[in-house]
Amino acid sequence: MTTLSDTAPPGARPPAPRVRTRQSWDRNLYWIATHALGLALGVIFLLPILFVLLTAVMKNDQAMSASLWPAEWHLENFLRVFDRAPLLEYFTNSLIYSGLATAGALLSAIPAAYALSKLRWPGQNLCFMLTLSAMMLPPQVTIVPLYDLWVRIGLTGTLVPLVAPYFFFDAFSIFLLRQFFLTIPRDYLEAAKIDGCTEFQAMVRVLLPMAKPGIAATAMFCFLFTWNDYFGPLLYTGENQDHWPLSLAIASFRGMHHVEWNLTMAATALTMAPVIVLFVVAQKSFVRGITFTGVKG
Amino acid sequence: MTTTLPARADSAPAPGRLRAGAGRARRHRTVAFFMAPAALGFLIFFGYPLVATVVYSFTKYDLINPPTFVGFDNYARMFSTEPLVRTAAYNTLWLVVVLTVCRVVFALGVASVISRLRSGVGLVRTLCYLPSLAPPAAATLAFVFLFNSEFGPVNRILKLVGIDGGLWFNSPAMSKPSLTLLALWGSGELMIIILAALLDVPPEQYEAAQLDGAGPIRRFWHVTLPSISPVLLFGVINSIIYALQFFTQAIVAGSAAAGSADVAGNSKYIGAPQNSTLTYPVWLYVQGFRYFNMGYAAAMAVLLFVVSAGFTWLLVRQLRKSQHQEEAA
Amino acid sequence: MPTLTQRTGRARGSLLLCAAAAVALLATACSGAAAPAGGGGAAAAPPGRGDKLTVTVYSKFTAREYDVVTKALNKLRDKYPNIEVRHEGNQDDDKITQSIRGGNPPDVAISFYTDNLGVWCSNGSFQDLQPYIERDGIDLNQIPKAVRDYTAYQGKRCAMPMLADVFGLYYNTDMFAKAGITAPPKNTTELFEDTKKLTQFNPDGSIKVAGFIPSMPFYGNQAQYWAPNFGANYFGPDGKSHLADSPGWKAMFQFQKQLVDFYGGHDKVEQFKSGLGDEYSADQGFQSGKLAMAYDGEYRDAFVKDQVPTLKFATAPAPVLDSMSDQYGGGFTTGTIIAIPKGAKHPGAAWELIKQVTLDTGTLVEMANGLKNVPSTTASLTDPKLVADPQFKTFLDIYASGKLVANPPSPIGDAHLKAVNDFAEKWQAGAVPDLTAGLKQVDAQINDALAQKPTGG
Repeated sequence: MTTLSDTAPPGARPPAPRVRTRQSWDRNLYWIATHALGLALGVIFLLPILFVLLTAVMKNDQAMSASLWPAEWHLENFLRVFDRAPLLEYFTNSLIYSGLATAGALLSAIPAAYALSKLRWPGQNLCFMLTLSAMMLPPQVTIVPLYDLWVRIGLTGTLVPLVAPYFFFDAFSIFLLRQFFLTIPRDYLEAAKIDGCTEFQAMVRVLLPMAKPGIAATAMFCFLFTWNDYFGPLLYTGENQDHWPLSLAIASFRGMHHVEWNLTMAATALTMAPVIVLFVVAQKSFVRGITFTGVKG
Repeated sequence: MTTTLPARADSAPAPGRLRAGAGRARRHRTVAFFMAPAALGFLIFFGYPLVATVVYSFTKYDLINPPTFVGFDNYARMFSTEPLVRTAAYNTLWLVVVLTVCRVVFALGVASVISRLRSGVGLVRTLCYLPSLAPPAAATLAFVFLFNSEFGPVNRILKLVGIDGGLWFNSPAMSKPSLTLLALWGSGELMIIILAALLDVPPEQYEAAQLDGAGPIRRFWHVTLPSISPVLLFGVINSIIYALQFFTQAIVAGSAAAGSADVAGNSKYIGAPQNSTLTYPVWLYVQGFRYFNMGYAAAMAVLLFVVSAGFTWLLVRQLRKSQHQEEAA
Repeated sequence: MPTLTQRTGRARGSLLLCAAAAVALLATACSGAAAPAGGGGAAAAPPGRGDKLTVTVYSKFTAREYDVVTKALNKLRDKYPNIEVRHEGNQDDDKITQSIRGGNPPDVAISFYTDNLGVWCSNGSFQDLQPYIERDGIDLNQIPKAVRDYTAYQGKRCAMPMLADVFGLYYNTDMFAKAGITAPPKNTTELFEDTKKLTQFNPDGSIKVAGFIPSMPFYGNQAQYWAPNFGANYFGPDGKSHLADSPGWKAMFQFQKQLVDFYGGHDKVEQFKSGLGDEYSADQGFQSGKLAMAYDGEYRDAFVKDQVPTLKFATAPAPVLDSMSDQYGGGFTTGTIIAIPKGAKHPGAAWELIKQVTLDTGTLVEMANGLKNVPSTTASLTDPKLVADPQFKTFLDIYASGKLVANPPSPIGDAHLKAVNDFAEKWQAGAVPDLTAGLKQVDAQINDALAQKPTGG
């Protein structure tokens, strides 16, 4: 089997083998194969979203029918939805909900994940298992006693019942961050502590910068989950239209016996737009990897 | 961006055992401080509902009047007279097994492809993640619509190639595989996480393996997988939980198959066709909130919790054992 | 690791859970008492003319229909100018239940479905309206019996009907003319014959146009919509499920099988059905000309006229079993219900609002015109302001026929309806070899659900 080192003098790093036609042919094939696959995947993933966009500009008579390409283009649907529902207000509510929830999740989960992954203490495994278990109980049952609680406190009709839990305990974030923190070698933190840092300082000054991709990913998922959350806001803010987030608005373009699919899809597209922008902007920061040289392996 | 270990010439030696004891106390204080919000939140937002659910499961509770104690009646009913809970459990179990495997493998595969791309990486990455960004009900409807057996593009394209696509979501036999495809389409989250982990693998390890003569498959098996194993564990557990709580998509897909798609899944038509999309959480919700048998729904929840928590604990313990073995080696 | 600290850790963990248990038990014990007492008993006094208060209304209406209903609700202000009506739309039945449970219910609750009425009535969620009706001397005979039945449970009247839906047969008059059929079918034999004449097959044997599809549950083919046409009853006098004893159900299922066999089997029907457009879209099977005849509610009339104005169609009462010809002219009915939840802050004002939207002819007619539903009182049916084209008028006649049938309210929500519809699916797929035995299993399932309720089984 040909390896790169065959062509180079011993000890030196082998140069890119432009000279060898067979190798460049192999590499080109590889390039074509991976990129064709990537393209195919991209198209497949895109199709349903394309359907959403196309439906959004159709006349409602054509929506959800056999003709898939818009016969008429009603771009004004995107504006019509603003007339029908105060989308900007809902957008603000969504922003408040998702923004605060994400901030809360990070604030509470980072220390907890740090404690679960970087420190050794009795009962640690039990706590980790309990965190996992918290994700096992279906939300449909937890809402019954929790709704009671919030009515007693008197905060239904607001976003507080939705946001508050994130400032304490978000099992998903803790779990994900713990796994990310585990991939960061302990040695860096040990070094910082030998230098005289407390755990807290080690966490903030050493771990956080290195775990940026993981933290960004966790933040992204928390934001996204709360952005598209429907049943939570329906239960806790349903009776107060001033506090509706966008996800409730999407469900409001319907009558008793029919649905205005074109407007629903237009509202859906508008709901997706901000998070798409957020993702495009943020993706570099959590997908770019960090390389650890000289420590592992 | 690389960081190297700071050179330590000499450090002040730690003064004796006295300091060690105080150090442990300080460490425990730190842990308590770090875990305090989580512990409190766990108690209030999980511990309390869990205990309440267990208590409800031994009662008849119609959500309005105070619960009345009935002992193990709900559990007895679950295992004897109520026919649909079995179907629901089977459907969810099917999803747990099939969907978990497919989701992790698919996410790993797609992430691997993306990690090898040189141009258009950002675009493909965004496109693969796009479905997860969509509100679940609308995304499900769009997906189901594309698979419509008569005029959906999927079947139309398959017909061009001469394959009869079948009824997809309208067929009791194919509805769950179709739901799996839907879940795969929406697995962008996991893809991104695995991608991040893949990019974290030190390239020197690949080069070392290559020098040792390892081909791409062995490199994958011996270098990539161990490196990303914590994230893969996350993927497996996350997928299991996702399958266990498969709710909105099941309802929306079922109502679309019944010909009455509704915007948010608050449909009267559940489980179509022939209860093949009736998942355990859906049936639990219907029992509790449509039929007002909250005690029975709580019993279902307790069963679900016990089975899934037990299974996950075993899994995690098994994996940690193998992880320790590898670290020791 | 010293064992002592390990044990301490575990002890700490179990201590936490014990604390949680204590909190939970305390909270559960108290939760029952959370909802304030109040409900049955005397009728609350109506508000004074100048009283200033806010009446909260929950309903599931959104978009245009929300505006129509809000306008109707605000008619209350003609009598009580200082009352503000706060109408929150997009609230489903779950939300109503939760809010009653939590102790912050609206003053007035509107539901699209009658399915939960039995539960809400029997567990005290909705207040008894009889004292109000007696105090104000309301004659309930202005509402048809079937509609009165679906707003009361075991003699307790806990809701009023707001607007009604009535089901009948829609048929494509062009296709009828081409097939030489001069009158709509009145009984199931005629329905079957007409189906055979109207159905068109493709060269490969698949269905092109179906005269009348039996697929259940689908569109307007729900077991509960068909049941009245076959005289099928759910519950016996003992309150238990008696499908297996009922000749009506057997006749209905056998009629279904007849149709499925005619089309060439279940697979063909399923293939055809999955290509039909969504019920709530403009591509719906009847509107797109793929179905020559179909059961549907009176609201379909407006959609056809609006979305497919070129479609020539007519409406007629649903065909009945041959032996039931004296029942022809009636049909299935359901509708929106409106009630006062337990714990409402202003029950007196709530009742005034309910009277306004359920009994005042002007308000009812305006709402009916706006929502294209049937107004519930006999006076409003004949009001000249009610917009009724010939196709819509059929449904008004059905409503006034005295032969309406509604779902019996039950304490199990729609569990019995789902059980029967599930059975229908299995039956059509050919998975039930013995009809009676299969129906007995459905009975067992429904009775098991009933046994969970104090008032059932």
